[in-house]
Amino acid sequence: MAVASVPHEGQADQLYVETRALRLQGFLLFLVSDLVLFSSFIFAYMYLRNSGQGWPPPGITRPAIALGGLNAAILFGSGATMHYALENFKRGNFIRYAWLLIFTIILGALFLGGQAIEYTTLFREHITWAGSGIFGASFFTLTGMHGFHVLCGIIYLTILLLQSVHGVYDKQRYFGLTAGTLYWHFVDVIWVVLFSIFYLV
Amino acid sequence: MSVIAEHGGIAEHIHPEPQGFIRKYIFSLDHKIIGIQYLITGMVFLVLGGLLAELIRIQLMNANGGFLTPDVYDEVYSIHGSTMVWLVGIPILTGGFGNVIMPVQIGARDVAFPWLNMISFWLFPIAGLMLFSSFLMGAPVAGWTEYPPMSLQGAAGTSMWCAAIFLVGISSTLTGMNFLVTILKMRAPGMTFTRMPLFCWGQFATAPLLMIATTALAAALAALFMERQFGVPFYDPTRGGSPVMWQHMFWFYSHPAVYIMILPAFGIISEVISVFSRKPIFGYRLIAFSSAAIALAGFMVWAHHMFTSGIAPYMQLPFMILTFVIAVPTGVKIFSWMATMWGGKIHLTSAMLFTIGFLILFTFGGISGVFLAAIPFDLHVHGTYFIPAHIHYVLVGGSVMGIFAGIYYWFPKITGRQMSEFWGRVHFVLFVIGFTGTFLPMHWLGAMGMPRRVATYDPQFQTINDVMSIFSFVMTFAILIFFINVIFSIRNGKKVGHNPWGARTLEWQIPSPMPYYNFKHIPSVYGLPYDFTEPLPYAHLEEELTDSPVPVGAH
Repeated sequence: MAVASVPHEGQADQLYVETRALRLQGFLLFLVSDLVLFSSFIFAYMYLRNSGQGWPPPGITRPAIALGGLNAAILFGSGATMHYALENFKRGNFIRYAWLLIFTIILGALFLGGQAIEYTTLFREHITWAGSGIFGASFFTLTGMHGFHVLCGIIYLTILLLQSVHGVYDKQRYFGLTAGTLYWHFVDVIWVVLFSIFYLV
Repeated sequence: MSVIAEHGGIAEHIHPEPQGFIRKYIFSLDHKIIGIQYLITGMVFLVLGGLLAELIRIQLMNANGGFLTPDVYDEVYSIHGSTMVWLVGIPILTGGFGNVIMPVQIGARDVAFPWLNMISFWLFPIAGLMLFSSFLMGAPVAGWTEYPPMSLQGAAGTSMWCAAIFLVGISSTLTGMNFLVTILKMRAPGMTFTRMPLFCWGQFATAPLLMIATTALAAALAALFMERQFGVPFYDPTRGGSPVMWQHMFWFYSHPAVYIMILPAFGIISEVISVFSRKPIFGYRLIAFSSAAIALAGFMVWAHHMFTSGIAPYMQLPFMILTFVIAVPTGVKIFSWMATMWGGKIHLTSAMLFTIGFLILFTFGGISGVFLAAIPFDLHVHGTYFIPAHIHYVLVGGSVMGIFAGIYYWFPKITGRQMSEFWGRVHFVLFVIGFTGTFLPMHWLGAMGMPRRVATYDPQFQTINDVMSIFSFVMTFAILIFFINVIFSIRNGKKVGHNPWGARTLEWQIPSPMPYYNFKHIPSVYGLPYDFTEPLPYAHLEEELTDSPVPVGAH
């Protein structure tokens, strides 16, 4: 039984469909394990918060909710633009897709800028990572980890933008964009939790 | 297992085999080569960890110590435990056997992400070197569990330990994701979940543990590292942190981790016991689903390690009861294996001997585990030699016996040659004698209150410790015989055909050693994997499945 020497058209498509299913599942599992990483630190936060020192611990003022809320709005907005970017790509509106993706990247950068302002404000009040007890430890570790994820997301989305300008993706094959969108929504959802535990409750 | 070779379809895509030495044997993408790399590296660390164990036993031959200083003794048992858990047990059973055998057993050509697989492997020896390099800067001294505040005060090597375990954790996480996707998506046509060999069920139950539990440990390690290097207060009680929090985060990983080390061994045992009893496995579904039940329940029992750590009494009781509950699926397995042997035509090969040894020794370990789950008893023996007795019975009497059984069983498949059965039996007898003499007395020492992890002890325990040390040399000698047998058999073992044991699972239907692409045609499976009523051998099928594949270009 000889084996076909060149995969014909239909076979190549089927191969793509199969590898896409594998990659999608792999990527979702990656997000699950990332979620566990955040959950562990959130567990640490809750454990320390309930260890009887009161919250916020004496001598610490919580970060301003106004700036935090604005920042959250920016990030959630970027989730919406990312969603519509992918939808437009699927429909073939490449120009609109590119602009929406650029907006997403800019909003992500704005979020990081807001976080930088927040950090410097706290530093001015001498609230630091290592020097402010369990508040500093949990706040800066969790928001810093999240900020790092946003930074990675910005880099990832920029790569996706450059790739799609060079025609790597088309209307049938856009797994990279799906993964990017999933990742960005994941970062959003994490911020919902972090915003609630640090600013609201 | 009933199999037909299927022609046509997507399965015909075959990359050409790489020819250069480096691409073929060093940075290989082939799951079989990667699995063998895991096995060899894990065995190297087994030797190193075993030598550390002998240092411990030599030290304990004298009640006043004197062989090692107390500080070095602490370093030795800490690195011994860390090595055996993270560099021997987990990599050999998941990355090693899982890579070599699992994709073939489900009828796939490779794992889902070969590149990721290669990265997983290469993180592992790097992490091992980092762990051992911590001796150069003052190794960790708080045991493999590294409880704060002691681990906060340890020398610089403790931070190196954190980094090394973090790295090997990434390797495990990637392996877990890879295996999960492989088993979910890449089974051959007809290979339903209820037809999957039980070794694959073991891997399937293990993969989520690798993926989820290990990430939780990564967070705990990162926090410990940050506290040690940057002074961020997580665990130091004087600065608002909580040392008990480490114990929660550590055991949330490390209790599932012992199931990571035992579920694949359960899988190996299920394969071996059915083949050498010449009987379909008893209670296939019970064994398969109890693996999943153990994996799930394993996430809900971690605080039974912490009964003496000051957790609230209302929390202790549920953890005790849930731990008792885990004995139920484990007991289901033990009884199913015994029922498999009952009335079977038993072949006492080396692999089968280790399997029977597993059944007996692991049951001992399981029972002492139930003892430890009972709070009143645990309060009495916590921190004594009863704990090492239990952990060695489940991890050496369980996992390591499973590893040996797996190596004797699959050695012909990996190399095309059989290991010496005579020396295999000598290995078995000496190993079990040495093992029992070393670890059985630990139960009594623990009940009498000899504390673990101390370099000196009360002279009344001297005789019993001397006896244990002598038996530990017997065990080491048995392992030496095993290694000589392996090295000798690779070159000079008896050449055997593709299926020397007459097994029915897919890996035995292709030539030994396995060809680069496993199956020329992806097989279609119908029927159960342990159906010994089918005639043997499937000579025609072997040709159908694997006459030399004609590679097509890269796609």
